[in-house]
Amino acid sequence: MVIIKRKELSFIEKLYLPQIFQALSHSFRAMFQPRITRQYPEEPLPTNEVTRGQPRLTLLEDGEHLACVSCGLCEAACPAYAITIDGHETERFIEREPERFEIDMLRCILCGFCEEACPKDAIFMSDELELADFSRAALVYDIDKLKRPREELQGRIDYFYQVNDRWRTPSSTS
Amino acid sequence: MPLPLVWLIKVVLIYGGLITVAAAMSLAERKVSAWIQWRVGPNRVGPWGLLQPVADGVKFIFKEELVPEGANQTLFRLAPILSAVPPMLAVAVIPFAGEVSIGGHVTTLSIADLDISTLYVVAIGGLGIYGVILGGWSSNSKYSLLGGLRASAQMVSYELSLLLSILVVVVLSGTLDLRQIVNDQAGPIFAWNIFALPVGPIAFLLFVIATFAETNRHPFDFAECEPELVGGFHTEYSSMKFALFFLGEYCAMTVMACLTTVFFLGGGNIPWWPDAPWLLELTCFLSKMGFFLFLFLWVRWTLPRFRFDQLMALGWKVMLPIAIANVFVTGALLSLGWFA
Amino acid sequence: MADTLFYILAAGTLACGMGVVTARMPLFSVLSLLGSLFCLSAIYLLSGFQFLAATQLLVYAGAIMVLFLFVIMLLNLGDEAELQGHLGFSLSGKKGLIAGATALSLGLVGVVGAGYSTPFVANPAYERGVDDLNALATVLFSRYALPFEAASLLLLATMIGVITLAKRQRTTDAGAHPQSAPPSTDGETAA
Repeated sequence: MVIIKRKELSFIEKLYLPQIFQALSHSFRAMFQPRITRQYPEEPLPTNEVTRGQPRLTLLEDGEHLACVSCGLCEAACPAYAITIDGHETERFIEREPERFEIDMLRCILCGFCEEACPKDAIFMSDELELADFSRAALVYDIDKLKRPREELQGRIDYFYQVNDRWRTPSSTS
Repeated sequence: MPLPLVWLIKVVLIYGGLITVAAAMSLAERKVSAWIQWRVGPNRVGPWGLLQPVADGVKFIFKEELVPEGANQTLFRLAPILSAVPPMLAVAVIPFAGEVSIGGHVTTLSIADLDISTLYVVAIGGLGIYGVILGGWSSNSKYSLLGGLRASAQMVSYELSLLLSILVVVVLSGTLDLRQIVNDQAGPIFAWNIFALPVGPIAFLLFVIATFAETNRHPFDFAECEPELVGGFHTEYSSMKFALFFLGEYCAMTVMACLTTVFFLGGGNIPWWPDAPWLLELTCFLSKMGFFLFLFLWVRWTLPRFRFDQLMALGWKVMLPIAIANVFVTGALLSLGWFA
Repeated sequence: MADTLFYILAAGTLACGMGVVTARMPLFSVLSLLGSLFCLSAIYLLSGFQFLAATQLLVYAGAIMVLFLFVIMLLNLGDEAELQGHLGFSLSGKKGLIAGATALSLGLVGVVGAGYSTPFVANPAYERGVDDLNALATVLFSRYALPFEAASLLLLATMIGVITLAKRQRTTDAGAHPQSAPPSTDGETAA
């Protein structure tokens, strides 16, 4: 047991008035401190390649076709069951492409598993974070809303490989 | 210009001003709280958020009006009115400036000139408590009831200290007329009652503390102590009824700020310039009033809330004895010719 | 105009007074009393007694009625007010006698003191009107000082008496076994 002896307050301290004035001056000075508020829509959040935003599909160099071959690995990896893929065959050199590729953004948890699962560099996490609409149906994104030129996602792709290279360094067992 | 028209102009000016100040206070409260907390505050509606009160008003009008089951219908509807009207009545006798010439008539810038305006203000202002009590009781909610009970106990307790500190001013000025009290403080700054040593500063301090308790503001806002009582006496209120409670609170704050100015800071008097033009006097009055309104907000966002027993102990065991002693000392000094 | 107003206000006073007696809920009784006091103070104002009107509002409406409301809310008296239990006080025995005698003598002092002074209206200090505060104060603190002090002493005695009674009631309530507690011997009985 510890007996704490409280300090006897002097008369001035018992008045509490000096402390009150001290507190008032403190809060008055706070009024002239720099603001910490971010004016959000005008001042967006700073994002960089580490930002794990909504997943986006990359286009091939021709800027027309998706890199996706609709293998379904991302669909399988998705823990939130947000991805739906229907594939079909094409006449091109890459023989498959998705006919339907939908990500339900209301279910997506931005975990990035799809990005890791993809064998064809077709899906990457972008830095787009804003998500709002007036109906649920509009928030199920289809290919038109998801496709992005590869250059737009280049930062993320480079970062992704930089991280993955750590795993690819030869270890003693290989 | 006929005399009734002059009266009408004064009424519209002063009441319009009061409502505007009350609306501006609802914005200022949020702005000041934001500034003290390193934030920006409302800035989306109009430039610097100046139209926020209008937006709030529109929102209040379109909200659903709820009357809780088991509530006493009559009293539930009556309470917001009872809470908003008294402070609006009390502002009628506040002398904002000296003599003004409106349309050829030389008149005073206050709605009514009573010989006993001090008593009138205190008597009418004291009625604001009924809105709080009845609102709390008629809601049929334990939180509201507790809020109303606390508010009434608190207001009755602190009204004593408030009256006794006003009494010091009345004794010093020898009149109950607010205009006379203001005129009595004309001249150098030392003529202000706050500088009437040694009793003036004490009375001023007691008065300011008591006004905080009377208007149920922090650090004495037990009527709506959020962590314990949800919203206190207005927990069950919504829509314009709720807005009326707020209007009443801000009007009461404005009246109290005016009274502090009149009683202790010489009203519209500018030091060493007794016959200043009325517009300057009005500006002076409003800036003093504005300071006290700011003080309400400043203190609210600085000090933590008291505990209820601490509040009662402060009111009855500290402030009341000091206030009574203060009155005695004033009387004794006056009879000894100290203030001559 | 003034006559009409007076009759309206008088009717209001009476109606509110009726309301005090007839209201089912104690809270409405208090509110009726409040309305009656308001009308009364308006009548004072109509007769030119500004000070009296303001004091009436300040003291009765602003403070005393608030306490009434407060008590009623605390007791939480509903439609069927169970007042019987709360009226079970009676002073008897020596203490009651002493208290009554003291109150009576104080009242007598007041009445006799008032009787010695000259009649209210004939006072030359009232030539300027009853509302003159200086005259009122002068008379109150000189000629009527004794009745004034007697009345205030009576009020003080009442206050102390109430506190004593309330305190004693609480200690008997707080007894460990109220039913087996011996009947109080000092004259206080529950009627």
